Amino acid sequence: MPAIADRTDVYLERFNDALARFADEPTWLLERRKRAMERFLQLGVPSLKHEEYKYTDLSALADGQLLFATQLAGAEAALPSYAAGSSSDRATGAGPQVLGRIPRGARVQSLAEALRSQPDLVQRHLATIADCEDHALSAVNTAFFSDAVVITAERGAVLDEPIQLVFGDGPTGRLPRVLIVAGRNSAVQVVETYAGSGTYWRDAVTEIYAGQNARVDHYRAQVESLDAYHTGRLQASQERDSYVGSFSISFGAAVARNDIGTRLNGSGCECSLDGLYAVRGDQSVDHHTSIDHAMPHCNSHQLYKGVLDDRAKGVFNGKIFVRPDAQKTDAVQSNKNLLLSDESEVNTKPQLEIDANDVRCTHGATIGQLDSEAAFYLQSRGIGAGRARNLLTYAFAADALERIKFAPLREHFEALLLNRFASQES
Amino acid sequence: MLQVRNLHVSIDGQKILRGIDLDVQPGTVHAVMGPNGSGKSTLASVLAGRDGYEIEEGSVTFNGQDLLDMDPEIRAREGVFLAFQYPVEVPGVTTMYFMREAINAVRKHRGQAELSAGEFLKLAREKINPLGMEADMLKRAINEGFSGGEKKRSEIFQMAMLEPKLAVLDETDSGLDIDALKIVADGVNSLRGADRSFVVITHYQRLLNYIVPDYVHVLSDGRIELSGDKNLALQLESRGYGWINDEVVPQAAAGV
Ligand SMILES: Nc1ncnc2c1ncn2[C@@H]1O[C@H](COP(=O)(O)OP(=O)(O)OP(=O)(O)O)[C@@H](O)[C@H]1O
Ligand SMILES: [Mg+2]
Repeated sequence: MPAIADRTDVYLERFNDALARFADEPTWLLERRKRAMERFLQLGVPSLKHEEYKYTDLSALADGQLLFATQLAGAEAALPSYAAGSSSDRATGAGPQVLGRIPRGARVQSLAEALRSQPDLVQRHLATIADCEDHALSAVNTAFFSDAVVITAERGAVLDEPIQLVFGDGPTGRLPRVLIVAGRNSAVQVVETYAGSGTYWRDAVTEIYAGQNARVDHYRAQVESLDAYHTGRLQASQERDSYVGSFSISFGAAVARNDIGTRLNGSGCECSLDGLYAVRGDQSVDHHTSIDHAMPHCNSHQLYKGVLDDRAKGVFNGKIFVRPDAQKTDAVQSNKNLLLSDESEVNTKPQLEIDANDVRCTHGATIGQLDSEAAFYLQSRGIGAGRARNLLTYAFAADALERIKFAPLREHFEALLLNRFASQES
Repeated sequence: MLQVRNLHVSIDGQKILRGIDLDVQPGTVHAVMGPNGSGKSTLASVLAGRDGYEIEEGSVTFNGQDLLDMDPEIRAREGVFLAFQYPVEVPGVTTMYFMREAINAVRKHRGQAELSAGEFLKLAREKINPLGMEADMLKRAINEGFSGGEKKRSEIFQMAMLEPKLAVLDETDSGLDIDALKIVADGVNSLRGADRSFVVITHYQRLLNYIVPDYVHVLSDGRIELSGDKNLALQLESRGYGWINDEVVPQAAAGV
């Protein structure tokens, strides 16, 4: 398709320019970048004709202008209220701000640093968990990311406070890359925040490796500029008896697309992929989740809730694969949406592929409006119409918010939701 | 305090209220009785400002102001309270949060300072204990999983918190056992005062043994067909509603 080849020209040019920057990287990484570039040139930025992207228009990204030719405002992103304390003095190259202290037993390193001190671990996991063979957006990140944050928790380390990364308007913020490796029996919490100003495209990829009996709680808070495109990928790979919890908050961006998935490679694994999106105006937000039950006796849980106002659009697609060996799988999926306006819309679709017979898989999706009886009840006690609407919106999202275990983060977004229509309150 | 004049109301083109006249003076208790479907809850809802009713004719004045012109929350802040026949469950919002927002909205409207969390809690405890409920109830979502009796008591608790000028109780006694009935009645009686009025909608004379009304009205087919004192309720208890249509209405129609 020459039309597409033409449009990806700029990507190839930029890649050739970037090769000089990558000169010091090990060969294996360079090979992975090249392969990613090759695949991207074949795939191109997915169009609306692509089954997996049919509701989310990414055509503005096709020519790469938003990635290469726009400037991030360059100002430090305002720290969200939940960010504990000040920036850590932990150097991560030109990477994101790392907030709070780094708990014992954990390391937060730049790519260069990690390649020096734990090269095998990086080689084993970086760009192998989030493969790009069929994922053009991850391929862009893999081909071009200039730095990565490598978070490792050593065997048995239990981190009782989260490591926070803020990807703001900084110079490498366009293509954030994070690798989280949780050693056997370790417990890690990571909060990633994406915030910026202006018009840009941010394409983020995070890979999680959860070792045997490890526990990873991952939070991703997307509060991008309302003129931005945000594409994000979170892919986890789990060993036996591990737990991965993902919570995706999506409030920002003009267009947001998140692909969040995990592979359960050992028995006894558990995962929760949860999320909350709240959009208005002409925003659109798209979550595609994927849980791959490869082995028996694993549980997966999904709760995604959406609040849509004005002309906003939401998409939820939840894939659950149950492979032939994955007997005794227990998979629960739920997507619930609240439409606050007549013009907002949601496309929600479960996609279950079950190749084992002794399993329990349930799914449910709802799209509803505010309960006018409840609104009247609140108003009849003196609460203004706008405030009643906010309270009910908050109430709708409450059970999802409860799944955010890190209280400052939860409280921040609770407040954001409660005050979302502050201007309409009386 | 409240003047309802020739109030005609329809829902989806169907006439429900056909000319209600009701005068409620400060400090009085009015009982409204009447058969199922006669329009009692409709009247209560119209007073509280629920959507979906068409006011075809008539007026409602509350302390000199046009009540029908106010949004429901303004009515509440001005002192109108409706205890719902069927209180709504609101999962995800605790009673505590709800009542604190409500009381502060009302206080703000009255030019009073908002209550701090501590002050609120103290007040809530004072009001909830006499109702035979635990303060723990405040932490539960509004009416969620409450028994019928708990819902009704929660309505009375809310009323006690908000100290309205006019409280309309829509079948707050229905489904209550005798102990709960006494508790609810005590709650109402303790609020009775020279400048607070009640409209008590009920099917059962029994409630009126505890909340003794100044007036009893019989609503039938969208009209107040008969008004009297507390003895009317006793008469209704023994004779039912049938005789009203047979005896009273023909007389009224004949202009007697
Ligand atoms: N939302 C509605 N849509 C259509 N009809 C309604 C609606 N609400 C009430 N009605 C009708 O209006 C009439 C009066 O109802 P209302 O609830 O006021 O009666 P009520 O006197 O309170 O009865 P009950 O003693 O059973 O509580 C009934 O015929 C009822 O079916
Ligand atoms: Mg009724």
